[in-house]
Amino acid sequence: MRRERRELLLRVIDLCESVRRNELDPFEVRVGEFLQRLRELLPKLRDLQDLYLDLQALVGLTEVILRQGEWIRHRSSLLYLDPLLISLKVQVMSPRELAEILVEAWHPTVELEALSLPALSEAKEYWTNLPPLEERRRELGEGEGGVGELPLEELQRMGILRREEFERLLTELWEELKKSAGEKGVSYWRFISAPTFEETVRRAWLVSFLVSYGYAGMELKPLEDDLLLFPYSSPQRREESMSVPVSLSEEKWREKRGRERRG
Amino acid sequence: MEERGEAELREKLARAAQLLFFKHHAQPGARGWELKRALGRDYEKILQVLEEEVSKLGLTIKKVSEGGEPESDRYFLTLKGHPTLTEARTFGWRIDDLAMLTVALAHLLAKGGKAPFKEVEGILEEKFPKFRVEPTLERFIRMGYLSEDEQGILYVGWRTRAEVDQRALLTLLLGREVKGETPQEEPNRSGGSSQSSPPPS
Repeated sequence: MRRERRELLLRVIDLCESVRRNELDPFEVRVGEFLQRLRELLPKLRDLQDLYLDLQALVGLTEVILRQGEWIRHRSSLLYLDPLLISLKVQVMSPRELAEILVEAWHPTVELEALSLPALSEAKEYWTNLPPLEERRRELGEGEGGVGELPLEELQRMGILRREEFERLLTELWEELKKSAGEKGVSYWRFISAPTFEETVRRAWLVSFLVSYGYAGMELKPLEDDLLLFPYSSPQRREESMSVPVSLSEEKWREKRGRERRG
Repeated sequence: MEERGEAELREKLARAAQLLFFKHHAQPGARGWELKRALGRDYEKILQVLEEEVSKLGLTIKKVSEGGEPESDRYFLTLKGHPTLTEARTFGWRIDDLAMLTVALAHLLAKGGKAPFKEVEGILEEKFPKFRVEPTLERFIRMGYLSEDEQGILYVGWRTRAEVDQRALLTLLLGREVKGETPQEEPNRSGGSSQSSPPPS
């Protein structure tokens, strides 16, 4: 009999503990029934340990009631809304109506941008110390023609790349493109994106050869800020060609990788 | 003596206005500790006086608490009232962008202040052109209306806490009558608008 009493107390304590750890819905605990049982039990408890457990169970049940109260307060507050209700509401509203709602609850911050005196002084110092453009160009060692490019032949001559190796890399990437693009094509950024920036640059470089040599085609998607890349089953000879400059910085790579991660 | 006190107060008011108006680093406004350093311990009293001054211009000082010490609270100057939709468009906002922000915020608030990016994106894509949704959400993150953590969870951003009356937003959203497909009666024929969609108080 005594064992049963202790088991009941421990069970109540355990349930309350589960609620405290957010493992159990506070409304799953039949608080009224347990309080009644504890009330009946109390006169029969003689052992100090049992009395202590009884006290613990009672404190636990009060915590459960507290949690139930919090839940009711949250649900009844204006800031609790059923996501489904919101979703239904926004579905039937026009963008203009939705915009009007935001505008009516909106109090934009007032902010000004201005140069401070220290910033102006710093700018003046920078300008005074800045060497003339001609001088800077000489320092950088740039010729009049600006930055040049290393053709494949030059890279081969320098021993950086062997033709066989390069062709193997191109073929591998072409096969990969055929597999991943299917008939619809694939996003250029998605295709060249790799876990490291260096690898992404390498893939972008190889893709530029795939397109130049007619192994793949590109379509501009200006509204989506992307390019569509699609493979050809065999290299195509083009009557007309155009250049598409693609700027690839580490920042842009990070931004695109962020999108890839979500997607 | 009194004149000196008045001059000092004026100087502090000017300093407080500068701190609140001008953008420091990436965010507008100033933190409590910055104001305390510039204005002294009684910076909140100075702000009360400034509040009276700026309210004449239709502005108000908004305090946004981040749950820490009072000195880490951020103070902003905001419009006291709200702009009209036409004015909002002259600020560079498209109607679609405003609508997207409404949907995103309403969803986040209904979900207890956070939701996965993909989930919010999915909801927006049901209503807005797909190609515009992700860049727009990213712009909202850059502007501070939303924030995103490493796990791709979206939260209500600092700018929303400063600028948007969240309770009013939800009340307006739920209280607004949806304009149906039927054409609206012209006021001059019916003697008044047939739409009765006042914002609930």
